[in-house]
Amino acid sequence: MADTDEAAIHMPSQDGSAHIEVDLSDETQDFRMLSNISFLSDGSQASIPKRGEKDFEPNPTLYQADVLSASRQAMHNALSYPRIHHPKNQIVGVYAPIGPVAPPPTTSNLESITEETQPTESPSKAIGNVHPDACVYVANPKSNLFKTMGQADRWNRIWLLPEEALFMLERGSLNIHWPRSEVGYDEDEHSVEDSEIPMSLQAAYAAFASRGGLNSERFSVYTGLRRLGYTVTRAPGWDDEAEEASSNEPQASENIRQQGAGLAGIYSRFMKWLCPPSSNTALGPVAGVGFHRSYDDIYSKLSIIPWYDPTANLNPGSPAQAPYRVVFHVYKPSTPFKKSAPPAPDFRIAVVNARAHTSFPTLSQLGALLESTPLDPPSSEKMSRQLYMRLRHGYRNVILAVVDEGVVSYLRISEAAFGKEKLYKQKAVANKTQYRPKPKGR
Amino acid sequence: MESDPILLPIPISYIAGSYFLFSIDAVTYLRREHHICGVLSGTLPQIPQQNVFLGLPLKLMPEEARLLVEKGVACIVDEVNAQRAGMRALAADDRRKYLRELEAQGAHAMRLQTSRKELQREEALRKVQAKKAAAAAKKAGADAAPDAAGATAGSDEPAATENPSRRASTTTTNSEIHAPYGTTMGITPATSHPPLPYSPATSTTLPPPAVPPSYPLFAHLHADGYYLSPGLRFGCQYLAYPGDPLRFHSHFLVVAADWDEELDLMALVAGGRLGTGVKKGFLIGGAEHTRADDAGIMGEPESVRTFSVEWAGM
Amino acid sequence: MTTTTPPTPSALTTLITSITTPTPPETQQKSSQSQQHPALTHQVLHNLQHQHLWTSLQIHQLQAPSSTSSNDTTADPNPITLISGIPPHRLYTHPDEQLYLLERGLREEDLELERMFVLPTVQGQTWSLRRLAGVFDGFPLQEEFFLNKHSGSKTDKLREYYRYREKARATREWGGKRLLLAMVDRQMGGDSTVVYYVVQDGAVKPRQN
Repeated sequence: MADTDEAAIHMPSQDGSAHIEVDLSDETQDFRMLSNISFLSDGSQASIPKRGEKDFEPNPTLYQADVLSASRQAMHNALSYPRIHHPKNQIVGVYAPIGPVAPPPTTSNLESITEETQPTESPSKAIGNVHPDACVYVANPKSNLFKTMGQADRWNRIWLLPEEALFMLERGSLNIHWPRSEVGYDEDEHSVEDSEIPMSLQAAYAAFASRGGLNSERFSVYTGLRRLGYTVTRAPGWDDEAEEASSNEPQASENIRQQGAGLAGIYSRFMKWLCPPSSNTALGPVAGVGFHRSYDDIYSKLSIIPWYDPTANLNPGSPAQAPYRVVFHVYKPSTPFKKSAPPAPDFRIAVVNARAHTSFPTLSQLGALLESTPLDPPSSEKMSRQLYMRLRHGYRNVILAVVDEGVVSYLRISEAAFGKEKLYKQKAVANKTQYRPKPKGR
Repeated sequence: MESDPILLPIPISYIAGSYFLFSIDAVTYLRREHHICGVLSGTLPQIPQQNVFLGLPLKLMPEEARLLVEKGVACIVDEVNAQRAGMRALAADDRRKYLRELEAQGAHAMRLQTSRKELQREEALRKVQAKKAAAAAKKAGADAAPDAAGATAGSDEPAATENPSRRASTTTTNSEIHAPYGTTMGITPATSHPPLPYSPATSTTLPPPAVPPSYPLFAHLHADGYYLSPGLRFGCQYLAYPGDPLRFHSHFLVVAADWDEELDLMALVAGGRLGTGVKKGFLIGGAEHTRADDAGIMGEPESVRTFSVEWAGM
Repeated sequence: MTTTTPPTPSALTTLITSITTPTPPETQQKSSQSQQHPALTHQVLHNLQHQHLWTSLQIHQLQAPSSTSSNDTTADPNPITLISGIPPHRLYTHPDEQLYLLERGLREEDLELERMFVLPTVQGQTWSLRRLAGVFDGFPLQEEFFLNKHSGSKTDKLREYYRYREKARATREWGGKRLLLAMVDRQMGGDSTVVYYVVQDGAVKPRQN
């Protein structure tokens, strides 16, 4: 049936060892299969549900109608599952609409409130190293999730970014309460005291999904990867304007100079090849006349076409423009992650809304995006042996997450350096054992 | 739940540039009665660590939202403002009433869980006994490890609502939980009604969604009984299913074009080839413009013409 | 490896060049309508005839009224040429028709071969829905064939099938008009490969085999 093909597009496997497997998340699954997921099977991937059998087209049989109605019922039941929190281990957050603020001094000390609200003008400084976009604080942060999420303030409260708060609420791991100021209590808006009234999923989406640079495409990518166990953090490219605007001007003028030098450099190299001191291609063979003692010698003389060396960094182009900017750093579950000192990310992701950007990015957009990532040469031992893996891995890489109304496709873009692979220097024997990628849709 | 009357128009939440539904009853109703499926985009709290089965909210394409508004089935709500204004306007009575309701639900959920835990514990004990008796000192692998991600233990508590038997089979012990500590569960409701009213204030309703030029084709296929979903994964605009995607494979990869839009034949061939490769047809179509100066005006779904392309195999 | 003398033209090249009248673009107007893309048409026809063994090939000029409108300012100046012919075996069977045949123990080989229309195109040509619709509106539904082959015991069933097919065509149960789109690869040093796609009017569910 068509379903095996339907699943042919999948997350790129990242270390060059791509292999196609069935990705069940590619299409609507029969929710009756959900009941096959045993909660007993500890861990997440122990039992992956079987793909449900689907039919080609509706027919008027009662059987088909029954199965469909059972599927819909199963879906209804699965989606009705409540988010409830046992009082013993419930984690409560409080929504802070104006961002990170200090806790109210002491509940009894009413007269000092006006004074205390003053410092909130420069909140992040006052309360510790908390991201200004954070908007939910958790006073009892007892969950493994906080190993990779949130930032603590001076009062040991954990502050969550909108995507973190929404994700935790959505998965039933956090109960977020409205602050008193937002639910009709006649209180100052800087007061973020717990009102005990829980935010619904709907309210949380309304409050968080468009806050602090978040949008529904970015959130789809964030939660999709979080659900799979990746650690996802904001990258510096998150804010469209901020960082770029400040660094734009000096960089631009520098670019022009460097570009000039770069072009001149290429040109001079080109000329060196074209007009080697001894030979002239207009008159003689390209390889030049004279004695050639090895093929390497001849091939190197024949390579007269300049090529781009991604390691040379001659041409720092224009800065990456939204949406082709890295907005997420992603860490594999196996990568040891410390919130205070995050390691270099395993993947860098740019998020593109397929509805707003319907064509493939231009070379300059992609170039700028790749320029914004660090050099990541194919250096592993395995890759040093395998030509095709080196080419696939490239020297810089980035992942594009293309989102079409909630459906995310991931594409890995890498900067290959064919010019660096001198085929004539390869041993003929080595070729036989080389890794050959199977043709596949990418 | 099938018989629950649904109040029309159903409010669709417009948040962060997208159209969302948070009510499971609305989702089920629209799927059953109007063939609108949307895309589930939320995390299922009962199994939060996978992407195969997703939960609420349901994200609607602008086309879907527009269609429902045009049918008079739904309206669009500026949810961000509706929430803020609505919650701020809560009176003390509203808050008290709402908290009491939640408390009652939480207590009910707690009772259900405790009694189920009892049952399960007894059953587990029986099994252990039986196994021990059976023979070999094999470990009874029944002691479930706690959820790896440390989801709150309470989250494996099934719905306090319908269909307890099915639920019982899907949920199993999380024997880490001991006797209840408090008396009520904390609850994160899916929707904000209550305490907010079901129907939005007129000040927070929005005009029908803006839709891409492919809308007439979307509406045309929908009117023909097809279920449509976003098609990016297959390099097209929509996937068209002959029935509910829960149960049927899609028939077409759909791409829309304007009546006089220049089509590269290569796109037709590429689409045909791609479709045939996954046993689907490639369908291209658009609204017919009788006059050239109609260009730019969105055509009517009734005037849409479509063409199906398949590889001929020769 | 390289020779300076050009190779002798192939039979196909000879055929095509003998037909092509190299008219300069400005004179290639209405006067030479019948010779619009003659080379293309003959290349496809040649391919059908010799590679795919089609028979009874004919060339048709469509006076394509661009879609249904009459007062069309953007009326297509290029008339469309179609080829029709009879393939050596049945090319397309609608899934429901297939089921119908299966249920009656009929095989595709039992059926009379049908004339099919072929639309010759070349890579790089731009089309539009309007133009495509014009083509579909411009050629007739498949002509009817009646039993003239000795079919033995299946005659009755075949008769029933043909009767039903007439109805199915009227109701579009087994799909509406269909044609074969032939596209020639001639760009960028294309190798003159011809690819064929079945294009049908309306949403016709895909075949599953």
